[in-house]
Parts: sequence; structure tokens; C-alpha cells
Amino acid sequence: MLTTAEWETLRLSLFVATVAVAGSLPIGMALAWLLARKAFWGKTLLETAINLPLVLPPVVTGYLLLVALGRRGWLGARLEAWFGLEFVFDWKGAAVASAVMAFPLLVRPIRLAFAAIDPRLETASRTLGAGRLLTLWRITLPLARPGIIAGCVLAFARSLGEFGATMMIAGNIPGETRTIPLHIYTVLQSPAGFEEANTLIAVSVVIAAGAIFAGEVLERRSLRYRTSEVLP
Amino acid sequence: MSHLKFACRRRLNAQFELDAVFDCPQGVTALFGPSGSGKTTILNMIAGVLQPAVGRIELAGEVLDDRAQGIHMPPDRRRIGVVFQDHLLFPHLSVRENLQYGTRRPNETRVDFNKVVEILEVGLLLDRYPRSLSGGQRQRIALGRAILRAPRLLLMDEPLAGLDLRLKERILAYLERLLVEFNLPTLFVSHDQTDVRRLAERVVVLDAGRVVDVGASQPTVDRAVMRTQGPVNLVRVAHVRTADGHWEGTLGTQPLAFTGHDNAEGEATTLQPGGTALIQFRPSDVTLTLAAVEKTSARNRLTGEVREVVMLPQRAFVAVDIGQLIWAEVMHDTVRELNLAPGIRVTCLIKASAALAVV
Repeated sequence: MLTTAEWETLRLSLFVATVAVAGSLPIGMALAWLLARKAFWGKTLLETAINLPLVLPPVVTGYLLLVALGRRGWLGARLEAWFGLEFVFDWKGAAVASAVMAFPLLVRPIRLAFAAIDPRLETASRTLGAGRLLTLWRITLPLARPGIIAGCVLAFARSLGEFGATMMIAGNIPGETRTIPLHIYTVLQSPAGFEEANTLIAVSVVIAAGAIFAGEVLERRSLRYRTSEVLP
Repeated sequence: MSHLKFACRRRLNAQFELDAVFDCPQGVTALFGPSGSGKTTILNMIAGVLQPAVGRIELAGEVLDDRAQGIHMPPDRRRIGVVFQDHLLFPHLSVRENLQYGTRRPNETRVDFNKVVEILEVGLLLDRYPRSLSGGQRQRIALGRAILRAPRLLLMDEPLAGLDLRLKERILAYLERLLVEFNLPTLFVSHDQTDVRRLAERVVVLDAGRVVDVGASQPTVDRAVMRTQGPVNLVRVAHVRTADGHWEGTLGTQPLAFTGHDNAEGEATTLQPGGTALIQFRPSDVTLTLAAVEKTSARNRLTGEVREVVMLPQRAFVAVDIGQLIWAEVMHDTVRELNLAPGIRVTCLIKASAALAVV
């Protein structure tokens, strides 16, 4: 079974991935909505920026984050002064790295889901007395739910596997920033490591498969109304 | 007093500019005109979905839009019910949730849910989802949803377009009952002259974004269709009965034989013996003669007086009063040869097979 250190790593990984997804979801949904519904100057630029982590070497992304969020970085210095937030060699740094790396995967399905909604359903909602917010809450978000779930699942799975960017900004501190991939990497450095790494490798596979499976189930459940005759 | 006052302008593209002014009293008004004439644009403006570039919209004394004063009331505060052409039911909500969508706001007039459900006969559909409904069912739900909002004005965009004849009759019947029951001021868009005549008391005729005519439904629609495709005759007969295997009714004092649509399709007819029916026939199916006709193959020989002769480039339309006004389409030469003019008495020959019951 898992050793104490491995449990620690697993717990940390799940925590970091959860924070990464939960933290980036509101921004991701807002940007997805903008990209799906609005035409504005610099739209292509924004799309490029969001998708950049997909093609950039993770180490480069990590380095850029380190520069920005470091103690003397333009953003890091302010965040530390205002909120006392530190990112370098900290689990929060790992969460930010995961969030940024997973962001393109989060945004894309949500954006497609928003784009697939007939905006006139929102118009119909408005004529029935629902304001913008209520319409968003009762029409737009429920209809986009499959896409939102898919985005979260993909981003969560991607966050669990984050390696390069995390290493750059958060380092590899046991119990602090050592997530599953970093743990596996560390173990594999020693000659006896191949045996030892097997458990965590198996855990990775199980978690990733489980996340995708759960996503499929949730998606299917929210799609049921589209095909069924009566209430599920 | 007018219920709705509309005076708006907006250019939608290089070819089309809407520039329309009209008033609607209480009751049912139709926006009538060919497609692309700006009917839907006007509905969108009244609903608050589209803003005029210049202009003012007033409902029951309240200003909804006034560009000069910078007033634009958002659609959710207008209390105007809209029935969209493609229904726009919410696919993730059940029929019941769809119907109740607009009824949540507190402190507003409410419409009795059960009564609407009863009139529209949708009680058995309440737990189903829109995906599994037929076109006619969706249309009824969309109607109910708009009415349950307790609107001050009901807007309908081509409520009967795309329905087959039999379904259309049923929806029309539901619609008529609802409008009577709830006494809703209604403005609907249609390009079908029969629907307009049947439902509307008043008609606003549009062409290329301009109001070209306004008035009581029958004469206004007649004038409008004369300019374009030619009129369709629609008369109401009483004392409907069967005789010798065909249907017959009474128009004023004269009998009129017609074809019930049950004959063709073999389906149960909605015609009630002793009741009334609307009969439709084309002006080209009406033959005019001066002499009293003794023997002819046409079942119907109705006498009347010419009221108006309208000469168009290719043909002429003659309005004959046979108790109700009908139109006959004739050649220019015929007008000359028969000396057709207002006041002349003529006999109209109409084949029973050309006169179709629409109710």
C-alpha cells in the first residue's frame, strides 16, 4: 500500500489540482463566454495568450511565472505587499502553475458549449421577465453544463500531471510542493526507484481514468433531458 | 384610446430601413406584409430586444423607448409576452417549468395556471420535455408560457406558419379561446391573409419597412393583397347541412354548396350541422354572368350587385356584394363586354369543388 510520504503526495496533488480548477473556473467561464459571444478588438490576441501554455515548453511557462510572481516580480511583489501571498517554493505556486497549464483545456469545451446555445433562448427568458443574471443562472449556465463539466475534468486531470512549470516555480519540497509527478521523478533518480515508483504510477492512472469516467457520467446525466420522454 | 403607440426608425442594412408609425387600440391587430417588410423587426423593437435608432414606443401611457430622452426599458421589465415563430422552449426545463418560467416574479398580476393548462389541453404534457413534443404541442406551450406571464400586450410572430391545415385550425381555435378568455391586447405578424382576416380586428400593412395602410381587417387586407398576389375570398355561411353528399350553407338568403375538407382526407370534420363555417375560394374560380342562368354545371349561382371594379395591368378584380363582399377575377375585355360597373346586378357562378371549408 501507500507509504506516509506517498499519501502526503497524493493528498497534496488532489488539493493543488482542486484549488487550481476551482480558482481558474470563474475566469475561464468569463473568458469562454467573451470568446463565444462577443466580437472585440484583440480577440485573436486573447485566444493566443490563453492557448500559449499548450504549445510553450512547460519549463518556459514556469520560468515566466517565476519572473512574474517572484518576490521581486511585478505581480508577485504587489500580491505579497497587499495580501501577503507568496508563490515561490509554495503550494500556491504549484496551484498557479497547474491552473495556467490547464487553462486552455478548461476554456475550450466551455467556450464551445456557450457557442452552441441559441442566444434567442436568452432573449425569450428576458421577455418572460428574467433579468440578465437570472437568465444566466437559469438558462445559459444549465445549458452549458456538459461543457463546463468537461472543461473541469480535463483541467483537473491535466493539473494532476503538471510537472515542468511546477518544478520551476514551486520546487520539489516533500509535503509542500511535491506532487505525484515530482514524487515519481524523484524516486526514479535512485537506482532502487523503479519498484518504488510503481504504486504512484498506478495511482496516477486510476485517478486520471476515474476523473474522465466521472466526467462522462455527469455529462450524460445532464444530457438526459434531451432524449428522454419524461422526467428522469 | 390607443394602447400601443409606435414610431421608430432604424437602418438594419444597406438595403433595408425600417421607418414605421402606427397606433394599436385594444383588441387584436395584425402586422401584415410580405417577408422582409419589417414585421419581425417591429415586434423585436416592441419587445425591447432591438432598440430603435430614432423614435418612441408607448404602451398604455407608459414610455418604453424614447431615444430623444434616452429611455430604454429592458425587455424583462416590459411585461410583454412574446410567442416566437420557432417557439424557443427551454430544452432543459420540463413543460411545467417552461410554462411557469415567467410567473415567478412576485407582486405582479397572475394568470390562473390551471385555466391556461385546461384551455390549451396540455395537462398530460406537463412532465415531458420539449424535445419529445410535436410542433403543435410546442406551439401551445409557447403560447401558454407567454400568457402566464400576464402580459400587457401579446406579441406573436407568425404563430400559424409552418403548421399543416388541420393543425392550424386547432391552434387557431385555442388562440381564439385564449384571446376571448383573457381579453389580451394582441399584435401578431402574418403574411397569410386568411389568418389575418380570421383573427385580427385591425390590420397594419407594411411594405419595405414602411406602413402603407391601416384599417379594419377585411377591407384593408383586400386592398393590400390586391396590390400583390390578388385577394382570396373568405365568406361565412350559416345553417351548415349536408345535402346529396355535399355540404351546403346559407349566405345571406342564398344557398352555397361547398367542399368540407373531410372529403379529401377522410378525417373527422370539424363542421357542425346547423353551425357556421368559413368558406374560401379564389377569385379566378368565380364566373360572372349578366343573365339569370337556368342550367349550368356550377352548383352555386349567387346574385349580387357590383360594388367596385379594380383594373390591374394583367387583369381586373370585381367586387360583388352577395350578402358579403366577394371578388371575381376577370379579363379586361370582360369588363368592357359586360359593362361591369358599380350598381350592375350580376350572377356569380362558383363550383362547389372550388369552395373549401376552412373551419
